[in-house]
Amino acid sequence: MAEKHKPAPMVDEVSDFEILEVAVRELAIEKGLFSADDHRRWTEYMNTLGPAPAAHLVAKAWLDPEFKKLAVEDGVKASLEVGIDWINSMPTNFGTPSDYCNLRVLEDTPKLKHVVVCTLCSCYPRPILGQSPEWYRTPNYRRRLVRWPRQVLAEFGLQLPADVEIRVEDSNQKSRFVVLPVRPEGTEGWSEDQLAEIATRDCLIGVALPKPGVTANAKLPVHPAVNPVDHDH
Amino acid sequence: MSKPHYDREHHVKKATGIGDPQCFKGEAGPAKFKVGDKVRVKDLPDIFYNRTQVYTRGAPATVAELVYESPPAEDEAWDNCDNPEWFYSLIFKQTDLWPDYSDTFANDTLETELPERWLEPM
Amino acid sequence: MPSPVRQKVMQHLNIVGLLQPALHKETHAPYPDEVDNAHYRAYTRMSHDVGGEPDVPIQWEEKEEEVWEHNTFVTCEVLAWRGVWNAEERRRRQNVDVGQTQYLGLPYYGRWLLTAARILVDKQYVTISELSNKIDEVKKRYE
Repeated sequence: MAEKHKPAPMVDEVSDFEILEVAVRELAIEKGLFSADDHRRWTEYMNTLGPAPAAHLVAKAWLDPEFKKLAVEDGVKASLEVGIDWINSMPTNFGTPSDYCNLRVLEDTPKLKHVVVCTLCSCYPRPILGQSPEWYRTPNYRRRLVRWPRQVLAEFGLQLPADVEIRVEDSNQKSRFVVLPVRPEGTEGWSEDQLAEIATRDCLIGVALPKPGVTANAKLPVHPAVNPVDHDH
Repeated sequence: MSKPHYDREHHVKKATGIGDPQCFKGEAGPAKFKVGDKVRVKDLPDIFYNRTQVYTRGAPATVAELVYESPPAEDEAWDNCDNPEWFYSLIFKQTDLWPDYSDTFANDTLETELPERWLEPM
Repeated sequence: MPSPVRQKVMQHLNIVGLLQPALHKETHAPYPDEVDNAHYRAYTRMSHDVGGEPDVPIQWEEKEEEVWEHNTFVTCEVLAWRGVWNAEERRRRQNVDVGQTQYLGLPYYGRWLLTAARILVDKQYVTISELSNKIDEVKKRYE
């Protein structure tokens, strides 16, 4: 890759992005396009999101074959059982504008491994999985995963034998996707909460496989924010 | 000069309590393809906007599922919802998409969704 | 001594001189017979459609979110909630209409933000003068 485009952060100076963001938000409110309360409510809604519901959906599917069947057939209906109503639980009552209401749960088998990308933008099941990681949004991941999936997965530490079919899901329209990995060995007798802990975000995107003892995503460098939001998501 | 009129209510009226794409259910008419059909992605003109990846153009695929009905993205991108159509989940063999894909991994596949206008029977 | 504005102008011109599309030719805005159909397609390609483009491995990273990035995302969703645009209109504008140089040159949410500003003007909810004055006013708050 060519020289990295990363100017030194100017902490003593407000950025043009920060100024424009304030300007756009204030103008939209002054013109009555939305209210300050609308913006606050959506911010609060965003702050409730994260990968926990999707992890529990996977854990439930591992424990209950009937629920697994429902999850694969109707992801939106199955989401209700982990507290996510794709249509009515956000401020709109018609779903979020950008995520729509068509969750599809991709069931892995010992011979089939799914991994998700959105080559055209960065479509991601936010209502059930939170905000996407930065690497998922990069042109690099989007360019390469569809064509060199085994190389990209290897960079995330996942090497699969040739007799396992890798299926890349290019999420390009109104469906959103969560991977349902194979339940790993060594988890016999585990509770839903225990199982949910190893169904990490990376496993649900498909760049990692769940493993007893591994409850965190791949350890990657974190690019710090100049003015970070003060909550986790 | 008079300002253009934008109907800011039409989508909220249609989708509230129902969801999107559910709100377009039943509007596309009969589906042209069924699960298992072999299709080929058309190489229609790329003018201004669509969501049919260039890498799929001209490639063969198998219909895996009829996923929902919706206006195609190119229409919605100008706020037009007049012509919903069927969307299909399609499975491609990676070796059909990329000439340099290794035969060792000939089982590998790729799945993506396209509206009916982009598909022709094989 | 050139003024700070002129210095910024020259700095800008030096940067945009480097921000060219990758295909460098001797003449810009060529004659019609100098652009064959393959190059027409390349020039009019949709900048969002990157799947399968060759690239080399990079260091995968996580990133903390800036306050303005989070607010920008919320503003864009709320604009859609209130019917100013729909998500596909937003994607078309921020991922394709921006052109290749801005698409690859700006931060992810930088494109969202510019597009949110643009929709207000394009749909005539805000005049360009109002937007410009507002930016100027907000800037002065921080001086």
